[in-house]
Parts: sequence; C-alpha cells; structure tokens
Amino acid sequence: MIKLTIDGNEIEVQEGTTVLEAAEAAGLYVPTLCHHPQLTPYGGCRLCMVEVEGARTLQPSCTLPATNGMVVKTNTQKVLDARKFVLTLIFSERNHFCMYCQVSDGDCELQNRAYDEGMTHWDLQPNWQPFEVDASHPFMVLDNNRCILCRRCVRACGELVGNYTLGFEERGADSMLVADYNVPLGESSCISCGTCVQICPTGAIIDRQSAYQGKETEVEHNIGVCVECSVGCQRDVLTRDNRLIRIEGVWEAPLNNGLLCDKGRFLPLEDDRPRLLTPLVRKDGNLKAATWDDAINAIAEGLGKGEGLAAIASTRLPIEDLALFKSVFADSLKAELVTTLEEGKATASLAKMAEKLGQSFESNLETLKDTDAVLSLALDLVDEHQVAGFFVKRQLTDGTNLIVADGKGNKLAEKASFKLDLEAGKEGSFLLKLHEAIESETGDEGFVKAAKLLKAAVKPVIVYGQDFAANADDKAVETLVGISESLNASLVGVKGNANSMAASQLGLESPIKTNGYKSAFIMLGDENPSQKLIKQLEDFPFVVALSAYGSQLTGNADVVLPVTMWAEQSGTYLNMDGRLQKAVQSLEAPEGVLTSRETLLKISEALEVETDADWKTRILSRTPTVQIKES
Amino acid sequence: MSLLDIDERILQLVELVDLRATPITDLKEPDEEGVTVGILEGGINNTYNEEVAKKMRERCKILVALGDCAVFGGVPAMRNFFGAEAALQRAYVDAESNDDEGKIPSSPELAQMTRVRALNEVVPIDLYIPGCPPDADVIFYALTELAQGRIPEIKNENLHWH
Amino acid sequence: MKTTRSMVLVSSDPESLDRGALDVFSTLQKQITKFGLEEEIALSMITDISKHAMSPLVLVYPDAVIYGPVTTDDVPTIVEEHLYKGRVVQEKQISAYDLSGRVAWLSSRKGTMPAENRIVLKNVGQIDPENIDEYIINDGYEGLGTVLKEMTPGETIQVIKDSGLRGRGGAGFPTGLKWQFVSGAKGNKKFVICNADESEPGTFKDRLVLEGDPHAIIEAMSIGAYAVGADEGYVYIRGEYGLAISRMKKAIQQAREYNLLGENIFGTDFSFDIHIHTGAGAYICGEETALIESIEGNRGEPRPRPPYPTTAGLWQKPTLVNNVETLANIPAIIRNGAAWYKSIGTQSSPGTKVYTVLGNVNVTGLIEVPMGITLREVISIYAKGMKGSATFKLAQTGGSSGSIIPASLQDTPMDFDSYDKAGVSLGSGALLICNEDVCVVDLAKVLLNFFRFESCGKCNPCRIGNKRAYETLVNISEGVGTLQDLKDLKMMSDQLYELSNCGLGQTAGSPLKDILAHFRAEVEAHVKLKVCPAGICPMSGQRVYKIF
Repeated sequence: MIKLTIDGNEIEVQEGTTVLEAAEAAGLYVPTLCHHPQLTPYGGCRLCMVEVEGARTLQPSCTLPATNGMVVKTNTQKVLDARKFVLTLIFSERNHFCMYCQVSDGDCELQNRAYDEGMTHWDLQPNWQPFEVDASHPFMVLDNNRCILCRRCVRACGELVGNYTLGFEERGADSMLVADYNVPLGESSCISCGTCVQICPTGAIIDRQSAYQGKETEVEHNIGVCVECSVGCQRDVLTRDNRLIRIEGVWEAPLNNGLLCDKGRFLPLEDDRPRLLTPLVRKDGNLKAATWDDAINAIAEGLGKGEGLAAIASTRLPIEDLALFKSVFADSLKAELVTTLEEGKATASLAKMAEKLGQSFESNLETLKDTDAVLSLALDLVDEHQVAGFFVKRQLTDGTNLIVADGKGNKLAEKASFKLDLEAGKEGSFLLKLHEAIESETGDEGFVKAAKLLKAAVKPVIVYGQDFAANADDKAVETLVGISESLNASLVGVKGNANSMAASQLGLESPIKTNGYKSAFIMLGDENPSQKLIKQLEDFPFVVALSAYGSQLTGNADVVLPVTMWAEQSGTYLNMDGRLQKAVQSLEAPEGVLTSRETLLKISEALEVETDADWKTRILSRTPTVQIKES
Repeated sequence: MSLLDIDERILQLVELVDLRATPITDLKEPDEEGVTVGILEGGINNTYNEEVAKKMRERCKILVALGDCAVFGGVPAMRNFFGAEAALQRAYVDAESNDDEGKIPSSPELAQMTRVRALNEVVPIDLYIPGCPPDADVIFYALTELAQGRIPEIKNENLHWH
Repeated sequence: MKTTRSMVLVSSDPESLDRGALDVFSTLQKQITKFGLEEEIALSMITDISKHAMSPLVLVYPDAVIYGPVTTDDVPTIVEEHLYKGRVVQEKQISAYDLSGRVAWLSSRKGTMPAENRIVLKNVGQIDPENIDEYIINDGYEGLGTVLKEMTPGETIQVIKDSGLRGRGGAGFPTGLKWQFVSGAKGNKKFVICNADESEPGTFKDRLVLEGDPHAIIEAMSIGAYAVGADEGYVYIRGEYGLAISRMKKAIQQAREYNLLGENIFGTDFSFDIHIHTGAGAYICGEETALIESIEGNRGEPRPRPPYPTTAGLWQKPTLVNNVETLANIPAIIRNGAAWYKSIGTQSSPGTKVYTVLGNVNVTGLIEVPMGITLREVISIYAKGMKGSATFKLAQTGGSSGSIIPASLQDTPMDFDSYDKAGVSLGSGALLICNEDVCVVDLAKVLLNFFRFESCGKCNPCRIGNKRAYETLVNISEGVGTLQDLKDLKMMSDQLYELSNCGLGQTAGSPLKDILAHFRAEVEAHVKLKVCPAGICPMSGQRVYKIF
C-alpha cells in the first residue's frame, strides 16, 4: 500500500494507482478531458495538472503514479491558472462556439469544465478556420471543427475495439483526426460500433439519429442486456416521450465495458419494418383485422387438442416466454415438435457432451480478454458476436497469436497469424489431426505450427461458433475437449441468439421437419423469419404467428397476433457464458399490442391448458456447457 | 430586449440608477466627463462598432459585455467562416427575396464591415455576462449588484452560455 | 574584416576594475600604438575571470598566455617583450591551474588555433570509416576488449560515473547515473538505443561522427550494453542522413564479421547486436520516448514520464538511450580512464563539446573544444570574429530548443552548470551567431514557427500554445502588437514550460522568455513605436488572421 497526501488528506492506495485515481477515491475533484477510465492514461489535455511537492513543474495527475510520501495539491492558484490557460487554448483552437453546437448546455465535457472553472469568457478568440464536416457515414457525423484532439476516439478504436480506423495525420497545430489514410469515414474500415461517438467529450463525433433529439437532462435511461446476440452486453437505452433516442454501452458493465457493435447500438434505431398493431385472421382467403377475442378463438379452433402441432419460438425472446412456451406446448399440449427457430444448431452437440461428462467444460468470456493464443473454429467474430471479436482483435498488437480455422471466407482470418483449412463436416478429422500434432508434433506443417503456438501459450483459448456446433458430431466434440485438456486451454462457445443457451437448457433443440404436421404455432417476437422457414411453413394447413412486424411469414399465416418488440418487453436472458441478465422495458407498447408472454397466457386460457411459470428450475435442471451464474 | 425579461423588477432597478444614455433615449452617448457603468451588447462587426466600443471604454469606469455576441462574437461571428464579402453577397444579391438588381450598398458614409470579434478583442472588459440571451435573473442580479457598487460574481448557476 | 595577429583581453569584473583594470587597458592601448601594433593586435575587455587574487588579468591569444595581477607599470614590458618581440614575460605569467577550473583548458591548447583537443572527433577525417581495420589500428575496440575481459559491468559504470560525463543531447544528465538506473532496473531483456535523430536546425555534429567514425558508436553501444545487461541495440538515424546510414550499416556488417557484434563477443558470454532504424523526418522523434514509440511503429509522440525509459522503455523494457556525441566519448574514457577525462573541461562538466558554429561570423563549421570556453572566445578565436566587423548581438544555442544568449553573457563559461545558473541552456551544440542586423522578434518568430510545425500535437499547451505565440509574434512584427501581447507571450512561455509533456514544449517558450528578458526595449519598440530597429519586420500595420 502507498500513502500519500492530497490537499491535506492522507490517502492510502494500492501500488500502481495514479494520483488522479487516488484523488477520486478520496472524493476530490480533478478536472479531466482526455482521460477516460476505460482507456490507458494519455496525458494529452493537461487539464488534470496538479502541484507535487519537489517536482520541477506541474504534473499530470492522470499519468502520474502515486508514490509513498507524495504531497499533492490540486487547487493552488498555479493549478487553477493552468487549468484556465489550457481551457482558453482549447477554446481558441477551433470553432468551439457553443451556440452552434448540438451538445452544448450540459452534454459537452469541454463546456462543463469551463463552467466548473468559472470561465465567463475566452481570453483568446477562436481560430476562424473552417474544416469540412464528414457526413459520409450512415450513422455518424465527424465534425473536426468541434474536435479537441484528445484522441479518446482514436484510443477507443484501437485499445478497446482493436479496429484502428481512427488516427491522426500531420503533427503539431496541423494535427487532424482522420479515418484510415484520410478517407471519408463512410468509406473507411469503420465497423460502425459507435464507441467513438460514445466516448467523444465534445460534439466532434455525433450520431445522426440522436443529434438534437434530447439532452442528457431530458432523456430517460433504461439499463439492461442487449438482445441482439448471445454475448449479452449491457446497454443503456435512452428514450424521450416514448421514443428511442440513442443506445449506449454501459462503461461499468463487467463484460462489455461500454462496448457495443452496430447491431446493438445503431441498427435497432434504423428498424423500418412495418409494425403489426392489430390481430389478423384469415377469412375467405384474405387476412383481415380482427379483435383479440376473435383471433384467440380462431387459434383455439385451429389448434384443437394439439394433434400434429409444431410449435417454434424465437431465441430472442426472454427465458420467461420460452419457459411458458415449453410448458404450454410440450408439457400440456404434448405437441409433436416444440423447438426454436435456431433448432439447437448452435448448442445441441455441445449440450449433449456436457450431459455425458456430467459437468460444464466451457469457460467464461473473460478468458478471451486475456489470452496469448486463440484458435477460432469455423467462426467469424468480425461478422457475428462482434464484441467478443473486439476482445480478440484488440490483443493482436500485444503479441497474441490468432489461428483461424475455417473453410469459407472469414474476415477475422485477415488479422490471423495464420489460417488452417477446416472443411464443413470434417470437424472430427480436423480436430483429430490437431490433437495428434499437439501430442506428438507430427503431421501437416500447418497443424504442427498451430500446435506449437498453442502449446507455447500460457493462456490459450479455443473459440467456436454455431457452424462448428451444427456440424460437429459427438466424436468431434470429444476430441475438442481432449485438446483443451492437453493444452490446458479454455473453451468458449459463442452459441447463437440472445437466449440460445436458455433454449438449450430448456431442451428446445429439435430440428424442424415439415412432413405431416397439421398446424404450426410460430412465436417470432421481433425476429425476422428466414426464407427457409417461410418455405417450410407453406406445407402447413394452419399457421399461427406471433410477431411484432409484418413479413412474408405473417402474410402467409392464418392467424397473426401483434406482440411487443425488444424495447417494449422485459425479461431474463442467459448469455453464451452462463450469465443470467435482465432486459428492461424501455418503451410503452402501442395500444392493443401484448407481450408474447401475455399472449401465450391468453391462448393457454382459451385452450384450457395448465401453465407453469417457474423457469429457473427448468434452466438449472440440465447440466450446462458452461456454469450458470446469477448476477 | 432581454432586459425587459426582468419584468416589474425593472422598477426597482430604476430606483437605484441614474440612467445617463441609451440608444433609445435622446442622449445616445455617455457624458464626456464619464459614467460609472457602461453596458455593451453585441460584438464588433464593423468600424462603427469599434468606435462605439472605444468611446464607451474611455467614458465608463466599468464596462460590461452583456450576451454571447458581446462576450464571444455570437451568431454574427459565423460569417467569419465565409468572410464579410460572401455575407454581403448572400444578403443583398443572392437572397431569394431580392430582385435581379441586387446590389451591395457601398456608400462611403457606411461603416466598413470587419471580421466579427468579441468585445474583449478590441477593448478591455471588466465584467462578462454570457448567455444567449443571459437569464433574466442573472441580468437582474448583475445590474442590482452594479447599481449598489458591487462587482457581481457570475458563477455556478449564474454562469451559462450556449 | 581586419585580421589580427593576436588578441589581448583584459578582465573587467568588478574586482579587476577596482584594481585598475581600466588604467591597464588604456595603458595597453597607448603602448600598442606606440609600437605601431594597432593594426595587428585586437584589444578587448572580458568579464568574469573570477580568481580575484590574480586580477586584473591580461590574456594573450593565440599564445594562451595569462598574466596577472597586472599593473600599469607591467604593461610596457608585456607589450614590448611579448607582443613586439614575441617573448613571454615569465615573471608575470600565471598558470591556468592557478585560476578557477573553468580556464583549465588554456594551457593544453597552447599554440593551437582551432583546438585539436579532439575526443569525439578524434578519428573523424583521419581514418577510413568504411574500413574497420583502420579503426582497430587507432585503438579501436580496445575499450570493449578491456571491459569484457577485465571489468565487471559495475566497474564499467563506475568508470563512467567517475569521469563525470554528462549527456550531450542537451539536458546534461549524468551518463553514468543513467547507466546505473538501467542496470538496476528489473527485467530479463534490456535495450540500448543510440539517438542519432539529429534534427536540431543547424546541428550536424552527430552526422560527422556517424559518417566519419561509425565504429566508435558500435563500440560505445557494446560497452553500454555490457554495463547495463542489454543484448540488443538500435541506432535511430534521421532518414535524411543517407551517407551516415550506409556507413553505419557497413560498419555493423564489418563488426559482425569480426565477431565484435553477435554471439559470444571476444569469446565471452556477452552477446549483442545492433539494428538500424531510420527516422521519417519528424523533429520530435529526437525526444527519447517519441523515438521509442517510433521504433515500436507508433506515431512519434512522447510518452508520459514516469515511468522513464530506464525502467520501461522500448517494448516496456528497461532501455538506455544515449546521444551519439555522448557515446563517442565512451571508448576514450574506458581507454584513458576517468581521471584523464576529468582533467579536460570544467569541474562539473568535464570533457569536450562539439559545436557547430553558424551565422554572421568569418569562419563557420564544426569545432570540438573543452567545456567551459566562452562565447567570446569561440567567436574571436575559432570563428575569426564577426563578419564585416559587425557587432555581436546574440547567439542562439542548441538548434531551436536552446536559448538566445545576449552579448552580456558572452563571457559566461559554456558548461552545463554555468549556463544553467545564467538561466540559459547549452542545447545540442549549435551556435548561431547573429549581428545587429538580426531582429529578435523575427528570430523568435522563426523559432516559434518551427515549433508550431514540429510539435507532435499530443498535448494542448504545446500544440496550441506554440501556434498562438507564433500568431502573436506575427502581429507584433506587423506593427499591430499590444503591450498585452507581451504579457501574453510571457505567460505562454511560462505555461509552456509548466504544462508541456516533453522537452520540446517545455523549451519552446524559452526564446520568448529570452527576448523579453534581454531585448525588451527592442521588442517594445515594435509595439509602442511601431518600429523594427533592425529594419527586418514588415510592420505593415495589418493584422494577420489566417496563418497557415
């Protein structure tokens, strides 16, 4: 422990703590701009300068490690003058005229710091050199006029996301934030994760959707889990007057630390699918608007006692909905097929292995954040489960080796140390060869090379996705577990949708077959039905669809019930590494639209079947591939 | 106009001060022998503004910059990005409401347009009251303090600009 | 320009004046005229000789003879015997060692015009730099052999510490201490870096060493590596130095062939190899942490300190970064011992210093002289006086980040401590000598324009402050400056020093500080009278708004 004195307060901190952290821990205020808790301290803005006894000049508290006996002062006249000088310089550098800016009056860290220092005016007038605004990106606008060159975005893009799109060109007074080699942001290597928007202290990078829609003081915050994939990022959904304003990552979230991908941050706000607002019942060959009662009656009539019934649910729905779904269709109605749209492809083979072993064999996502060698099997983390991909990408410059095994185009492979060819369906023999190379260092050159890299690693991780799980047979999974044991490697299965693992724990894993069914009950929620499913359902005489949005599937259905989309419902989600997390309702549902759960209860009432709402016991009753943790 | 936002409190204020000159009274300029407090609104947009500012500085013990234009340059300062000529061209020639004969006024009697500046770029200022417009309460607070011989402190909730 | 055979200097510090130095001076003048020598002998006064018991002093150059204490009665003898007949008046002569340490070099330089006291430049121009054998014949690699065979790393560091060698990059940090820090730093991998990114305008001392004696650098780096426990080295050479790069490459190749680099050097356990990394034209990459970032492949921006490179440098490993000139001293120190090195230069700054002399003087070029020489001596002896008998106005030391030295400081010994005490810095060793035709506002403008362009842009005070200061200077030079501008310049100079992250920003304000301290009247003339006394500044009366 280190003892130091800040403004007369004796403070005790861990070794490696910076003076800024020590001051903040003691509840003392030191203004910052370029500093961000998630980033490596940079020391660029020089706003956090403090006086340290014995030091020749003022010292930046954000980068200065606390040492024993250090005496620090944070509010001497010298420090206050320095702060004012720095702010004056920043205001004078570019067009920081607040009255033209969308973040002014509360949302701008620069302006807030000036308020804090009691600046009523600027001693130096702004430089009147205009820079072009880059509005080429579909989701963001980059305005260099507002930039204070703190490089938070650049560091976030590199350190957190591992994408290295943003950078600086030129030097000195000519320094300029650019994307790649100064191409428009919209044509750059940007993956639209939006971390730069979220981390920008001023209005230099803003997102198109939320600009001028509401300031921090005017919006409501709704913190919950993202339902776009199984990573389970924590996000904050900002709303105002029952409208979505913006989605932000939660910096304090232990898993994603503020990161989101385009699917979690921007795309939900771009959703322009036609919304269903009233029940529809097919009459005389045409779908007609109907009352809820009529529609429920039509369903009860159409499903009858459940003979020849296929019930299929989306894995984007909360566990509560899925458990109720199972209780109604599998337990009470004993439908012939009760499954999910995912058909267990991402989980079934692995879940079987866990049952066979009688214990979990997969590890936490945290292992992916701190590893020195990653083997990725038939999985492209650049395209899917992107935030997990960020964890890998951002380590590649620190000497972490990445081996990508895939048989098709894989964007992650571009960043790999090297690539192995893994043909779909040959997972078993591939893994056997790899296992052999690990055991005896013999075999194909590529395998031996991979084996050597993995063996040399201290914390190797093998990560695999839906394609692997779908194609791997029991033998392949067994070999995989064997490899992990000989390497002492962690296994991370990324699974599929938000509640992919929950569906697996509920046993909703059967493949969809179309022969001989009389009716289908499709609980889509807000998921987009695949063309394959639409085709499969054409053979069904009677189809019920619960959906938030209109689609070809609902157009073909016989009864359609409008249900809520993700923001209008709350519930529990089980992510890929076994975290139980809550999604919260952020918006009021439109009138006449119920949640899938409420709709199911109505239907079960009409069908006069019993339901069981206890989902937790069901989830925990099966040996999971990765330990389930309640947060 | 924002001064009027202080509503009936203006009557209290009038009690406290001896109003020497305003643009809407007969006396447009402060007394030659000097006054205690002078308040300037607006930035420096042309040579006439410059003269006024300098005269005010000469004759006022305390010179106050009131409003974002006076303190920072404000909306008119946007024209600095394009230059005065482009602004004149847009206003007098290219504006949709002009007929074909649009012409930039060029009488020698007119003040010359300059780069738009905050007051403190031209004359030293003693007190800044930023805001667009400054809050009525802030204006009232500042003026009553000045009228009673104190320099107001513009800070915390009184400190606000856009 | 009138050339003179000899130069006679009379001390004029207060003590000397008390004891009749002015009389001695006028008597000398008369006597010299009497012998008709006025065309051949230059007579001048100097200050700060500091050994009071011997004052007033009379110094005769180039003979480097010191007389003291001299009275008016002694003058005729000195003039007749020494200046007229060429015989030293031994009874009045005193040894340089009787004086303070700072002029201890005088006797060793006796009779030589440009000092041949060469350590750093010893081989430069004397040997074929592309032939390792020539270097070896000239005692090359002897030092390395000595340390590897006979000395422990600790002993090696002790020798460097004892020698009192201080870094020649500009800051003057004790080299031995730096070595000790790296040696004591925890880590199984350490690096040695030679900073050859010589980008200070007007400085080209390192280039000549690299081009003329590359093996000295290899030997010194190897000695350093052995002392601190490193096994890998980098020479970071500025990209424009094509010849230096190719010579260095060749030298490394030759050293490898002779197993002076590589595994088990001299049959010992010590292994060491050197890579060359070329810079891409950024001044800031001469700053050691920016240089390290650049080697790592990042944008050349200085890192925050602490941690210092000595504990977390290249790839976060303990790293020794030394300047070329510093390293070039190492083999000689090992060969000749610390005591020998300490005998050269001054007490606190031993050794020699290489200067590049530029500007309005008769002879420009590279000189290597002992530490403690004065600017007046450099100008009068080595530079052969000001061009066209102009008056010396100021000197700019150390490329851009040095100081502006006014004429009043031209008798201050040029060593780290004396200059520090006088509030100026020695810089990297460039000496830009300026006459009265130079305007200080213009000079500061040029320097600030350089910093404005060469700042890395990382920290606000340096990136914006330099630009702002430059703009203010432009306005002053256009005749639209105000007294407030002068206050702003002083404030910016202070804040730049106080707030900047690295040496560039911290020293960027020093020209402002210097011109305001030493040439305030001239600067004020620009502001108050709207006149540029030197007639350089445009003084258009127009404010310049857009400065690119």
